[in-house]
Amino acid sequence: METSLIITAYSLIFLILLSISLFLYIIVRRIVLKYNKKRFMRRYQSIEKDILRLITFPQLELSAEIARKYQSYPNVLTKVLFDYIEQIEGLGKDQLKKVFDYALKLKCLKDIYSRRFIRRLKATHLFVVFSEPSEAVHIMRLLNDKPLVRLVAVNALSRIRTSQAISYIFQAFERDPPSNARTYINILFGLGQNIEHFVRMYIMKPLPLEKLGLLIELTGAVPLRSLYQDIIVFADHPDKEIRIKVARAVGKMHIPHSYETLERLSQDDAWVVRAQAVKSLGKLKDHRALDILTDALFSPFWHVRYNAGYSLASMGLPGLKRLKAIAKQKKDPYASDMATMVMDEIVYSEGMEWARS
Amino acid sequence: MTTVFHIFSSIILVYFFLLNSLYLFFIILSAFGLNRYKHINAFINFKEIFQMPLVKPISIIAPAYNEENSIVESARSLLSLEYPQYEVIVVNDGSKDKTLQKLIKAFDLKKTKWVFRKSVDTKPIKGIYKSLSNPKLIVIDKINGKKADALNAGLNISHYPLFCGIDGDSILEKAALLKMVRPFLEDPERTVAAGGILKLSNGSEVRTGQVTKVRVPRNWLARFQILEYLRAFLGGRLGLSMLRSSLIVSGAFGLFRKDIALKCGGYRAETIGEDIDLVVRMRKYLHEQRISYRIAYIPDPICWTEAPETLKSLANQRIRWHQGLIETITYSKKMLFNPRYGITGLFAMPFYLIFEMVGPLIEATGYTLFAAMFFTGNINHPFALFFFLLAVVFGSLLSILSVLLGEHSSRQYPRMSYVFIITLFSFLENIFYRQFISVIRTKAFFDIFRGKQEWGAMKKKGFSIANQKQ
Repeated sequence: METSLIITAYSLIFLILLSISLFLYIIVRRIVLKYNKKRFMRRYQSIEKDILRLITFPQLELSAEIARKYQSYPNVLTKVLFDYIEQIEGLGKDQLKKVFDYALKLKCLKDIYSRRFIRRLKATHLFVVFSEPSEAVHIMRLLNDKPLVRLVAVNALSRIRTSQAISYIFQAFERDPPSNARTYINILFGLGQNIEHFVRMYIMKPLPLEKLGLLIELTGAVPLRSLYQDIIVFADHPDKEIRIKVARAVGKMHIPHSYETLERLSQDDAWVVRAQAVKSLGKLKDHRALDILTDALFSPFWHVRYNAGYSLASMGLPGLKRLKAIAKQKKDPYASDMATMVMDEIVYSEGMEWARS
Repeated sequence: MTTVFHIFSSIILVYFFLLNSLYLFFIILSAFGLNRYKHINAFINFKEIFQMPLVKPISIIAPAYNEENSIVESARSLLSLEYPQYEVIVVNDGSKDKTLQKLIKAFDLKKTKWVFRKSVDTKPIKGIYKSLSNPKLIVIDKINGKKADALNAGLNISHYPLFCGIDGDSILEKAALLKMVRPFLEDPERTVAAGGILKLSNGSEVRTGQVTKVRVPRNWLARFQILEYLRAFLGGRLGLSMLRSSLIVSGAFGLFRKDIALKCGGYRAETIGEDIDLVVRMRKYLHEQRISYRIAYIPDPICWTEAPETLKSLANQRIRWHQGLIETITYSKKMLFNPRYGITGLFAMPFYLIFEMVGPLIEATGYTLFAAMFFTGNINHPFALFFFLLAVVFGSLLSILSVLLGEHSSRQYPRMSYVFIITLFSFLENIFYRQFISVIRTKAFFDIFRGKQEWGAMKKKGFSIANQKQ
C-alpha cells in the first residue's frame, strides 16, 4: 500500500472519530446543560423564596442566615440578588446588600484583585451594584486597569456619589485618552448637579479639545445653569467644534439672557456653528430672534435653512406667519421649499412636538 | 499529460489543505471570541443606554422591492425596537406589486413636501410619505435602481449620525440596536461600523414582528443554508473580525457612521454587492487618511432573515452575492497586497480574492480534473475515493464545529432532534449542495464577463404566511 494512501486512510479515520466525538459532545453538553438549568432553577426558586421573606420582614439575623445557607451556591445567589436589587429601594435593598456582604463580598474582592481579566471584569460589574462609599478604595485601584474594567469601575464610583468618589472620576477623566471621554460624560450625567463644582474646576484646565467640548456639552445636558458665565467665554474659542458645543449647551440651558451669545454665534464664520446657534435660538423662544431666523432661512447652507425653519415654527404664531410669507415668496425657491415643508409637517405629523422640544 | 494532471492535482490539494486549515483556525478564534463576549456582557443591562445623554440616534434604512407579503410585518418589527431615538426609513424601490399601497394603508401614510439635502446621487424620488400613526416612520417611493441606490436615497433623507442598512424582510430582535450601538459608545472615535449575526427565520414562528419560537425549517435547501450561515457568521466572520480582517458587514443588518459613509460617496449604485463594497471603500478611505478605525462584530443572533427555498432563487441569490464580491475585489484591486492598506491590503483582501472569489473556480476545476483523470485512467482509484471521503468528512467536521459554536450562542434550536437533523445535513451538504453552490458561483464569473447582471429578487413567502403553514 502506498504511503500517501495510508496517510489519507488514517486521516480519514481520525476525522471520522473526531466528528463523532464532537457530535456526542454536543448531545452530552445539551443533556448536562438541561440538567444544570433545572437544578439552577430549583435553587433559584428556593433562594428567591427566602429573599422575598427577607424583603418583606427585614431582619439582620435573617440576612446572615440566608447568606450562610446559600454561600456554597455563589452563582445562583448572585443571580437572585442581581435580579432583585435593581427593582427595590430602601430597607429591602439594604438587606440584600447585607446578604451580599456576608456571602459573596470576600469572593468578589478576591476576584477584583484576580490576574484574570474576565474575572476582574465580572467582579467589578457586581461592585457597580453592591458597592458602598467605604469601598471606593477597592474600586479606585481598578482605575489603572484595562479600559473596559476602568470604565466599569468609574461607573461603580458614580453610584457612590460622594464628593471624594466624584473627584476620583474626574481625575480618571483627565488621565484617560480622549477616546474614552464620551463614556465618562454618560456616567457623569447620572450624577446631576453634584458635578457642578468639578466641571467648573476642570473646564478651566488645559484639557484636550475633545474633553473640553464634552464638558461644555455636559453643562447643557444636565443642565448646569450656574456655569453659564463659565462656558460663554468659549463662544470665541478658535476651534469651531467648541463653539458648536457652546451654542448647543446654551440652547439647552433656557437662560433668557443667553440671547446675546446665541445672536453672536448665529453670525459665526463657520456655517455649522450658525446652524447650531439657529437651532438653539428656536429653543429659547425669544421673539427678538425672529429676524435672525428669517434671514437664516435664506442661508445658502441647507442645515442652517433646515434648523431656521423648525426654529421659526417653535416661535408660535409670529414664527408661523414668517414661514407663511417665506413660503409664498418666489425670490428664493430653496427658502420657500423649506418653509413649505416645515408647515406641511406641522399640519400632518409631529412637527409641532419637535418644535416644542 | 500525466505530469500536467499531477501538477494541477497537487495545486488543488495544497489549496484544499490551506483553505480548510484557515477555516479551522477561524473557528478556533471564534470560540475564544464568543466566550469572551459572553463573559464581558455578564451582568450588563443594555437598557442603561436609555439613561445616557450622549447616545447617538439611528436612522434605519430598509429598501423594499416587491415585498408586499412581508413589508408591513417587517416595518412593525422595526418600529417596535428598543432604542432611545431612531427613525425608520422604508424605501420602496419601484416595486411592481402593492408594497407601497400596503404601507400606506397599514400606517396611515400621507405624502409630504419634504425638502432634503442630496448628499449622494440617486434615481428620482416620486414621493416621501410620513405616517400619521407613527412619527418614526418615513416611506420613500422612488424609481427602481437596485438596493444600493435605494439605500443612498434613504441616506439622503436620514437625520441621524448613525445609520443601519437592513433588508426589507429582516426581523430584528427588540434589543438589536441597543446591542449594536455598544461599540459606538465604548469607542466612539474609532468605531465606524458594526455587524451582527444573522439567523434564518424559515420554519420559525414569528408573532408581532418577533421570532417567538425557533424551529428548523422543513425545506431541505433552507436546512443546508442554516449550516452555511452558522459557518459563515460564527466561524468565518467572527474569526476574521478578531483578526480585524472582516470585509463584510451584512447588508441584512449593519450599523455605520454616516459621515464616513458619505465621505466615501455612500453606496456605489452600480454594484450589486453593496455591503462588502461599502466596507472595502470605507477601509480604503480610512487607511488613506491614516485614521485609526475599528469595525466591530457582535456575536449575538440579533437579526433574522428568510432564506430562499427553491433552487432557482438560491442560484440567483448566490450569483448575485458572488458577482458583488468579484466587482468589489476588481474595483478595489489597488488595495491587494498593498502595505499602504495595512492588514486589509496584506491579508483581508488577498484572503477574499484567493479563497472566497477564486475558490469556487478552483473547486469546479478540481471536479472537472477529477472527471478527466477518471476517464483517461490517470487516477489512483483507492486514493481518489479516500480523498473524496476525507473532503466530505473534513467539510462536515467544520460544520459540526460551527454547530457547536451555535450551541454556545443564544437562541439556539431548542429540541434535541434538531441537533440530529443539522448534523445529518452537515454530511449530506458535501454530497450535492456544496457542488451545486460551487457551480453556481462559477457561473457568476461567466455572467460578469458577458455583462449579465441580475437583481434577481427572491420570491418571499412573507413571515405571516410562513407561520400559517407551520
